[in-house]
Parts: sequence; C-alpha cells; structure tokens
Amino acid sequence: MKIMIIPSSLDMIKKLINKFDAIMIGIENMSVNMPNFYSYEDFLDIYKYLKENKKEIFIVLNKNMHNKDLDNLKNIMFKLDKLDITGIIYYDIALVNIKLENNLKTPLVWGQEHLTTNYMTSNYWNSFGSDYTLVSNEITFHEIIEMKNNSLSKLIVTVFGYLPMFVSERHLIKNYLKTFNLNDNSKINYIENKDNVYPIVDNNNGTIAYSSHILNGIDYILEMREHDIDYVLLNSFLVDAYKFEEVLDMFNNVNDKNRQKFKEKIDKMFNTDSGFLNKETIYKVKKND
Amino acid sequence: MIDGIKKEKKNIIKKPELLAPAGDFERLKIALHYGADAVYIGGSLFGLRANAINFSLEEIEKSVKYAHSLNKKVYVTVNIVLHNKELKAIESYLKKLDKIGVDAIIISDPAIIKIAKKHTSLELHLSTQASTLNIEAAKFFKKQGITRIVLGREANRDEIKNIIDEVGIEIETFIHGAMCSSISGRCVLSNFFTLRDSNRGGCSQICRWDFDLLNEKKEKLEGEKPFTFCTKDLSQLKYIKDMINDGITSFKIEGRMRSIYYIATIVGIYRKVIDSYCNQIENYEYNLRDEQILRNCANRDAVSQFYDGTNDYTCQYYNGRTEISNQDFLGIILEYNKINKLVKVEQRNYFKVGDVIEIFGPNTLEKVELKEIFDEYMNNIDIVRHPKQIVYFKISNEVFQNDLIRIKK
Repeated sequence: MKIMIIPSSLDMIKKLINKFDAIMIGIENMSVNMPNFYSYEDFLDIYKYLKENKKEIFIVLNKNMHNKDLDNLKNIMFKLDKLDITGIIYYDIALVNIKLENNLKTPLVWGQEHLTTNYMTSNYWNSFGSDYTLVSNEITFHEIIEMKNNSLSKLIVTVFGYLPMFVSERHLIKNYLKTFNLNDNSKINYIENKDNVYPIVDNNNGTIAYSSHILNGIDYILEMREHDIDYVLLNSFLVDAYKFEEVLDMFNNVNDKNRQKFKEKIDKMFNTDSGFLNKETIYKVKKND
Repeated sequence: MIDGIKKEKKNIIKKPELLAPAGDFERLKIALHYGADAVYIGGSLFGLRANAINFSLEEIEKSVKYAHSLNKKVYVTVNIVLHNKELKAIESYLKKLDKIGVDAIIISDPAIIKIAKKHTSLELHLSTQASTLNIEAAKFFKKQGITRIVLGREANRDEIKNIIDEVGIEIETFIHGAMCSSISGRCVLSNFFTLRDSNRGGCSQICRWDFDLLNEKKEKLEGEKPFTFCTKDLSQLKYIKDMINDGITSFKIEGRMRSIYYIATIVGIYRKVIDSYCNQIENYEYNLRDEQILRNCANRDAVSQFYDGTNDYTCQYYNGRTEISNQDFLGIILEYNKINKLVKVEQRNYFKVGDVIEIFGPNTLEKVELKEIFDEYMNNIDIVRHPKQIVYFKISNEVFQNDLIRIKK
C-alpha cells in the first residue's frame, strides 16, 4: 500500500520527500479542492524534482469544464501525455472523451468526489481508461473493501485531512460581503453552526466548503493494507507543516502495537473524527421502501 | 428580406416539450391536465427525492397508461448515486420499468447505461446530476447511447446552443424552480449535518440554514442577516422565446414535492407562453402579469442566473427560512352545474363574500366577485374557513372540474 499526499507548498514537498510514494498536484484554473495550484511551467520544475526522487505524480484536473475551458484542457492533457504522469484525476467526463478521441496514453483517475461509491461504476470508467478510482469519502470502510474486492481499478482512499462537502461555481463569500457592504480579505473563511466551525474558501473557481473535523483514519490503516488498498491519501490542507510531518510519520510506521497510541495522539493534535468510515448515511424512501 | 427570415424561422421552429414534475398520481393528472407534454416521476427505489411520495410499480403502470391515453409521456427518475448494495436490485427494476413501457428513465450513474443497454430497450436520459456543461462530455454520452442530456444548471445560453449545434443530441434544461447552490452532485452538506445522503434522495436543504460567517481569525463578520448558501429560484419565463429559437428539446420544471396549485399555475403559464410564441411568432409579446403570477405562486424571488450570466450577488437569498406558505390558492372546482350555474368547490385557503377571485384552468380564466356563498346544505355563509370545506357559489360562464381558484391581485 502506497502513501500519497496532497502538499501545501513546495517546501513541504522537499521536506517530506522521503516519506511518501505518490503526490497530487493541482494546476491553475483546472483544479478545485486543492491547497494550492501551479502553472504548467512551475509544475515542470516540481515534476523534475519528483521524478529524480522516483515519485508517482497524479495531476488534478477536477473542475467542471465549460466549453471555454476545453482548449486549455486539451493543451494541458497533450503536454502531460509527453511526461511520465501516473494518472490524471478528473471530475468532468470531457477528459474521458479527450483521452479516447486522441489516444492519449496517460491513465485517468475517476475522481468524481461524492459519486465514486460503487465497484460497477468504477469498472465502467475503467473500461474507458480510468485505471484508478479516488474513492468517495462518504462510504463506509466495509463498502470500500467490497469495492476493492470487485474493482478492476486501483483504489485511492483518503485517510487524513479536511473533507470537501460542497463545491459551487458561485462566489458565496464575495456575494455575502457585497450584499452587506462588508470588507474582508481573508484567504480562508469559516462558517459556524452549533459550535462547529467549517472552513470555506471562495477563489477564482467558486466556493468550496469543508468538514468541521479532520478525518483521522489511522485506525483503519492495517486493515486497508491487509485488503490490498492501493493508495492511502493524506491531505495537508489547513494543517501546520510540522504537524503534518508528524502525522505522516505515524501513518508510515503504524503497526498493531502502536496504532491505538497513534490514533489518540492525532486525536489530541486536531479536532478529528473518523468521517463516514464507520457511519452509514441514510437512504430512506418514505413510502413503499 | 426580414419577412423571408421570419418565414424561414417560422418553418424551422419546433415546439419544445413542456416537462413537469409529479410527486403522486393526483399531481401527475393536474400537470398533464394543465398542459404538460410529459411528466417525470420517482419510483419507490433509486430516485433522488426520498421525501416525495414516490410511485410503486403499480402506480407507475397506471400513470403510464393514463399519460399514453392522452398521447403524453412519463419519464422515471433512476438518478441516485448507486452504492454496492443497490447494484443487484437495479437490473430487475429496470426490466420492470421496460415492461411497463415508461418513455424513458433519467439516470445519473453511468453504470446504469450498461445494464439498461444489455437487458432493456429503455430510452436513457442523462440527469442534471451528471453536470454536463460542454461538448466533449456530451459527445461521450451520445456515443454510449444516451438520447437526451439534462444540462447542468451552470450552462449559459451560448454553451447550450453550442452543444445543440455541435453534438446533435436532445437537450433538456430547467426553466423554473429551486436551484442548487452547489454544482449538482458536488454537495454532501446533508451527509455531514444530518447523515442523510444528498446523492441518494436525502437532501435536507442545509443550504437554507443560517450560519455565522467568520474571517480567517475566526472573528464574526456582522452582516444584517446571517450567511446562507441559499439562492433565489430559477425563472426562464422571459427567455422562453430565445430557448425555443435555439432548439432546446425539453423545458423542465423543478419540484416533485410541490403542491397541485404550484404545478397547475407554473405549467399553465409556461404552456400559454410556449403556445402563444410558437403559434404567432410575429405577434408574440411578453406579458408581465404572467411573471407576477409565477412570483406570487412560489413566494420566492425567481431569476435567470447562469443562462444570462447574472449569477452574481443578486441571486443570493438571505431571508433564511422565512418564506410564508402560499395563501393565494383558495380551492379546487369539483363540478359545475350548467343549469343552475352553481359551482361546487373544495376549499384550500380562507376566503369570504366580497373577495374577487380568479378561476383558472387549461381552458378557463374567469374573474368573479363573490356575492353569495353557500354551504353543503345551501345555507348562506359569509366565510369559508375550514380546510377541504365544500361550498357553492354562482358563476355565469362555464368552468370545469380541476380548474383552480386563486385570489385576484
């Protein structure tokens, strides 16, 4: 099982270079839900460094694409296809069509956030060149394992970090500030409800809201390894770099003896929960169910 | 020259389908009665409105027979995001829908394409949940056998037209109703706040909740009203003409959980506008009173948003959950007696002698001042205050069963 990270800075990449196997990188104007975004030119420098260190690179092109984005999208996909990229993470199906119509070799990663919930759909996208699935954060550990046992694709499972729960093309923070004539230049805002505080970011691509708690899935790592989960993903968004390194060390070194201690340690460092790994969401139909 | 263009335009215009929601058989009948060409309904399984009173297979069969008897269509939503445990049941469900003869199913999870193609002859429409916004994605789904795409609500007019021209697939777009604040499918606020799965029919509309907004130091930003994700409703009434000219196949009204009054009013107004444009292009004029009726019906502001590029701060709703229930809807016509001119009415909201009312239906629009009202035993009464109370009053012109009564404003 490989360790994948979403870094917050180039410094972080360099500091942690010996502590991960794979990495996700966001590209300017093409990605959402990432702590930062690189121009293609800046990415090339990072690419060189990562390849020298034999890392797998996953590029995130996961925004919803409009017609006006397609030229830029094709341009980037064609350029990436000349590099050694392990996978391109997509949300919009335009990427599947572009890959198929142009016989691009770079594998895709079916990464439709909350929709990647079953093995049959994973296998459907696998038949169109998606060799990987970035698994939804809203399914249980049991469902993930069942998906693994029946999927043709390699699975990437998030085990640490804030979880995205809302993506919009609307600028909800800017709209609020403008409506009520308020000044605020925060890069990150928060919304509060019943003592829970949720990070919310309004940037060029729209608005994204995140969970109030950080997912701490270290308790599940050994079972994931046992069931041959291919990648576990740790997201550094809004986490102090030194704390993230500490967390990464624990995920790298967890075993039967220390896992409870590590879990408690991470729980003390952050406001954590185990997301939906042990909580099934309700699917309820009032009548005739 | 201008006449020539007009003539040419008249020849190529295709009247779009008016597609209405139906939460149960009564609403389905009302939607079709008031002019919908087709309705979309949810089955008891695999639909995305868990709180709507969904249709059993028997009810779907009854609905299809009823709609087909009027030369109209029924589409069934099978648009939840599937989990592993649902995979086994989906095949037999699709086979049953196929056997019933539904006109299409509306799907969002593409795994269903493969199953439906292999085991049924069902026509497949792609749900707005798939957020299709560009020609590449539309081309892909066309190749897989999707015959119609319900575009993402974020598509603007140029994008819609471009997809129609470049891909050559039937396009359906929303024309009226509530809007998700998020990109469809990219919101799981319900999952996090209430453990109800928004992509499997459990949306609990967290977007309408009030929140405090804090800055990066976690200090409260004091607006006059609390922060919400909530946006105004959608109304495309003033763009119907452009949408018809651009060749959109189907105009969809949102709201399987809406009342019969809402459905009758919205369907009736759009039916009238579509017909009046298609039947007399040169003489068509936009009617502000239609817009007013739509606004009064929902008690929420409705604007165009992404279609015309006005999706800015003016589209936000900061009133929280304060919208009041609609009091305009007064009752339903049960019968009309041509001999004594008495109309029999079932009450829905308070009304009284002296009120000026409007009776409307597919072929009815009558303004009446209520001079006398009678109870079930033909006693004079002044006020009709009880829900579902049966009353009578006189009206000289004929009105029809299922016509509705609203207060005249």
